[in-house]
Amino acid sequence: MAAPCSRMANRPLWRFITNVRRTGLKHTGVRQISLSSACRAATQTRSKTEGVPSPWKLYGAVCLQRLPVISQERNPIEDQFAELMHQMELERSLLSDHEQRLLEDSERMTRKQADNYDSDEEEADYGGQETITAQDQEDTWEQKLKHFQPALRDRDVGGTPLGSVERCLGDSLVLLVQQTVGKETIWLLPQAQWEAGETLRQTAERGLSSLPEADFKATFLGNTPCGVYRYTFPKEVRTERCVGAKVFFFKAFLSAGSASQKEPFLWVKKTELQRYLKPPYLEKVDRFILNL
Amino acid sequence: MSIAVSRALCRVLSRQTAVPTNVSSLMGVDGHVSQGPWFASVLTLKTSAPLRAEPKKKKKVDPRREQMVRERLKKKLKKLERVPPELIPIEDFTTPAKYMDETRVRGAPQLPFEESERRALLLKEWSRYKQTQHRAEMEAVGLAVEAQREALEELRLESEELYQAALRPDPLLFPFNHQGPSYTPPKAQYEAPEGKYNNITKVYTQ
Repeated sequence: MAAPCSRMANRPLWRFITNVRRTGLKHTGVRQISLSSACRAATQTRSKTEGVPSPWKLYGAVCLQRLPVISQERNPIEDQFAELMHQMELERSLLSDHEQRLLEDSERMTRKQADNYDSDEEEADYGGQETITAQDQEDTWEQKLKHFQPALRDRDVGGTPLGSVERCLGDSLVLLVQQTVGKETIWLLPQAQWEAGETLRQTAERGLSSLPEADFKATFLGNTPCGVYRYTFPKEVRTERCVGAKVFFFKAFLSAGSASQKEPFLWVKKTELQRYLKPPYLEKVDRFILNL
Repeated sequence: MSIAVSRALCRVLSRQTAVPTNVSSLMGVDGHVSQGPWFASVLTLKTSAPLRAEPKKKKKVDPRREQMVRERLKKKLKKLERVPPELIPIEDFTTPAKYMDETRVRGAPQLPFEESERRALLLKEWSRYKQTQHRAEMEAVGLAVEAQREALEELRLESEELYQAALRPDPLLFPFNHQGPSYTPPKAQYEAPEGKYNNITKVYTQ
């Protein structure tokens, strides 16, 4: 009986490792050792907490990201390097059909202007037709290009409001909402309190769907929380039962959605987060929001 | 065979010339037609040996001949089948003849010293830039993994049941599809025009 039990205990650990790998995170080689030590420590405390309800309130929050729609602009060094690569490729290549035609045309011109030009021979070769030279074609193409007006890549030049999803199309944006926590109204990631009988991921989904006048369709990336923020209540609110709260964050990608402009929503880049979030909260949240 | 046929014919003719007197005498005497020598010759004409010989030969030799022909065809088919199938050529791997032309070779560029120096320095700058970028990426991912590990630790301290629920893999997540970033943003309510096309790809059969 003992042997199968130990095998069952080891299986969730293996499953967790594969789950972590699947969510696209690297460096699991190092993490495996620390995970097992954390589990061993946790099993010791588990016996204590099973009988007593925990003094922490649980919240589930969602970090909803809108992934970039267009590619980013190049840095100056990237620009230079791209130009260099293009130049080197051109030097190593063979002549194209168009370039050969250019060479032939220029040769023919020099032959025509030479003293011993035999027009009968030339006409016999080329059938006596008026051919359009490659140079003329190039000129017509350049003229056409001058008249062409390409559309603007990033429609953000006009300065779209911060609440619009169509903001910086080249970066990934995170959704922020204004909620009342305790006595204050602060900007934070949408969250909801955990109720008994549901998993934390369901809490986060409820928090997202319960946003007033908003209809976001999101794909949650797995059941595992990506971060936690633990804070204690101020002394006047603290009781025996609830010392503070733990907010567990779940990552999700926005697939489709819309929101009215009236409600206080914000779509911000990672660099703009510090303007809206409180420093201790920002410290924890900044770690799992990747700007990649 | 032809001699036999002619002999039979002669016999018939000789009998025919002799017949008319006999027939009248027979009719007169008996009152009914009986099998006289003329009838006998006609019957023998139908079943004479040389005429019998031809169809007999057809019956014996031709089935054998047909069988021989069929066997020969089968043997040829087997020989053809034994040949291994021709490999389908990969058109991407064969350089077209027009690129082997020597007139197409571009002259090697003569770079001045400054230009080659600039290129070397730019390449080194680029490798340094890419190295810092890679380090930053690895650090960011490391931080994210650490944050997740802490979250799971805290959850475990809270409740074992929620921890187990968090560890379960999500079957509905995969296959996960997402359109990556393009160079220009998509147009709202864009209808792609329908067009006719001629597919000229070469299809090989083995």
